[in-house]
Amino acid sequence: MGRIVQLKATDGTEIQFVDDLVGAGAMKDVYFSPDRSYVVAFYRTPQDFNARQRLENLVGTYRERIFDQPGGGYWKDLFCWPERLVEHEGRLGIVAPAYRGNFFFEFGSRQNDFLGIRGKEKEGKWFASATHQTKYLDPKERGNWRSYITTCIKISRAVKRLHAAGLAHSDLSYKNVLVDPSRGDACIIDIDGLVVPGKYPPDVVGTPDFIAPEVMATLKLAKDDRNRALPRRETDQHALSVLIYMYLLYRHPLRGGKVHDADPQVDEELAMGRNAVFIEHPTDVSNRPNLSQIRKSELPWADISKVPFKVTGPYLTELFLKAFVEGLHRPELRPTADNWERALVKTVDLLQPCTNSACEQKWYVFDNTTAPRCPFCGTPFRGILPILNLYSSRGKGKFTPDNHRLMVYNDQYLYPWHVNRTIFPNERLSDSDRKPVGYFKFHGGKWLFVNQRLSTLRNLTDGVDVAVNSAIELKQDLQILLSPDEGGRLLQVQMVQS
Amino acid sequence: MRRLPVYLVLDTSGSMTGEPIEQVKNGVQMLVSALRQDPYALETAYLSVIGFGNSATQLVPLTELSAFQPPGLSASGTTAFGEALQLVAERASQEVTKSSASVKGDWKPMVFIMTDGQPTDDWKKALGRFRQEKWGIVVGCAVDSADTAVLAEVCGEAVVRLNSADSGAIAAFFKWVSASISTGSQKVETSHNDVGGLSELPPPPPEIDVVGL
Repeated sequence: MGRIVQLKATDGTEIQFVDDLVGAGAMKDVYFSPDRSYVVAFYRTPQDFNARQRLENLVGTYRERIFDQPGGGYWKDLFCWPERLVEHEGRLGIVAPAYRGNFFFEFGSRQNDFLGIRGKEKEGKWFASATHQTKYLDPKERGNWRSYITTCIKISRAVKRLHAAGLAHSDLSYKNVLVDPSRGDACIIDIDGLVVPGKYPPDVVGTPDFIAPEVMATLKLAKDDRNRALPRRETDQHALSVLIYMYLLYRHPLRGGKVHDADPQVDEELAMGRNAVFIEHPTDVSNRPNLSQIRKSELPWADISKVPFKVTGPYLTELFLKAFVEGLHRPELRPTADNWERALVKTVDLLQPCTNSACEQKWYVFDNTTAPRCPFCGTPFRGILPILNLYSSRGKGKFTPDNHRLMVYNDQYLYPWHVNRTIFPNERLSDSDRKPVGYFKFHGGKWLFVNQRLSTLRNLTDGVDVAVNSAIELKQDLQILLSPDEGGRLLQVQMVQS
Repeated sequence: MRRLPVYLVLDTSGSMTGEPIEQVKNGVQMLVSALRQDPYALETAYLSVIGFGNSATQLVPLTELSAFQPPGLSASGTTAFGEALQLVAERASQEVTKSSASVKGDWKPMVFIMTDGQPTDDWKKALGRFRQEKWGIVVGCAVDSADTAVLAEVCGEAVVRLNSADSGAIAAFFKWVSASISTGSQKVETSHNDVGGLSELPPPPPEIDVVGL
């Protein structure tokens, strides 16, 4: 172990680091504290007045604005936020918490970790590539399709929080967002590049795969050229959409077969920039993946006819179209992080466990057909499948559809956010609202809903109240009123037999 | 998927005998391990090794990282530098997929040339052939008393000098090669330059002099 260096942060805190370089990013050299609970990262180049001021705000005002609020502790897991500034041998540095243990590979790659990645950071690229998923990663690291949705919810929520504070990350990528799909967890790192619109300009344009088309298209203009597009909230929104697409479909939304130029570098700039086209564009088919040039290890994911983006369900499909068709070249039309969070949360309710125990994805989104099947392994659903359509009250006895459905499966729970439209499962959810209000069970050939704590549950079809600790059988066209309150929900039951 | 071809062109002449050639072998091994741990490189980079002594030989054809086996290197003979230039150009023209109207070609290949001596053949003629190919990055690494003027003619300003007596120097060079193959965030300022120039390489490690920078 190297020498331990002792110093005082600018706020007076004692800081120590071990003088062994553990990592080098684009701008910084990183060192661990002796107990590895935090890292010290020094900028290799001197930071000008502006940069310094930005960092001071980052560890000060901006951090306080997010963390020193009621419920601020929630964000500690979602961000690796710099906490202090240090100066050592003329170099400016930041002190940030070390990444949590689950963001390092426990098992790594297959065959007793033949790649030697055990203990390394779980960089998102490992999980966003079909080849890595199918050929290299240990199955215990991979997670399932549901846990990727949860991972994406965490990422969207964190980005939403940054944007709500008036900040932009400016370099979202699978390098700067650690993920742990085996637990559905994510954490945003490298926050020191934050952009404050109109105040602190960005240092980086982003990371290939995630640079927004307008930034790519104007790369060659001078930095102060009025037409040069630089990272900002809208470019974060593009990067976020790409991340979500890649984590759910293991392919890049813009990397298709279209050749824009014989020179690969020019081709790349056009394909990601001015001429970018969604590979699954509904009408422009010019950039469809060329399957003759795809490696076997990328299948079936690279084949958009086998795994079209529509497998992500109606809510996400709509946002992907906004992100990669309408908003690709019109940044103001891109979905917000809040849009993504809401759509992902609703998509969780559409998930159905695959009945094939060997299915690698384990979960899939109900495809709204009378003969549902898992789009990943092709296994059809067999049996009776109840679907609950959510309506909510908008005044005296009037219920309108919420464009929200809940798929029922054995041991599925019903939560307060299903009971009332005004409750949403995010970081502000109260402890009591985190607990289920009832559950579903297939019992004696019937689908039952067991009421655990709804005092006002009513079967509207026959006008009978359903007491706590009693059950109601789900049948076609049954209507259940979950709550008579404002925003209270009514369930309309559909049964699919296949 | 667009591949990133990487050619390592390594001097195996007699003067590399002993410590230097062992360090190079070790360096190649380290490079491969490091790249396999980088998910971007693992998916994209393909590696080939060309050795040159009395003659130049492709020791490993362009191979994906997961299947790459480091070659046994032994040092002997003269310095057929020109032949090596010729061979790397011929191999690249064979192995690298060119773009066409319907096929996305590979990235322009990266070439890392390491030598510790003076060419003993007609390298100027071979340089003409070498220049016919489209290269991404061409970096020269001059070990000890190597002729930097020759490397500069091949590689432009991208020539680094290192001292084999410094035990970490060759390792640091391969670490640098590994960092050049991985990608990261692109800085705002450097992005006017054509990607593929030296400016896209990570800063060299402190043990290495970059000649002409």
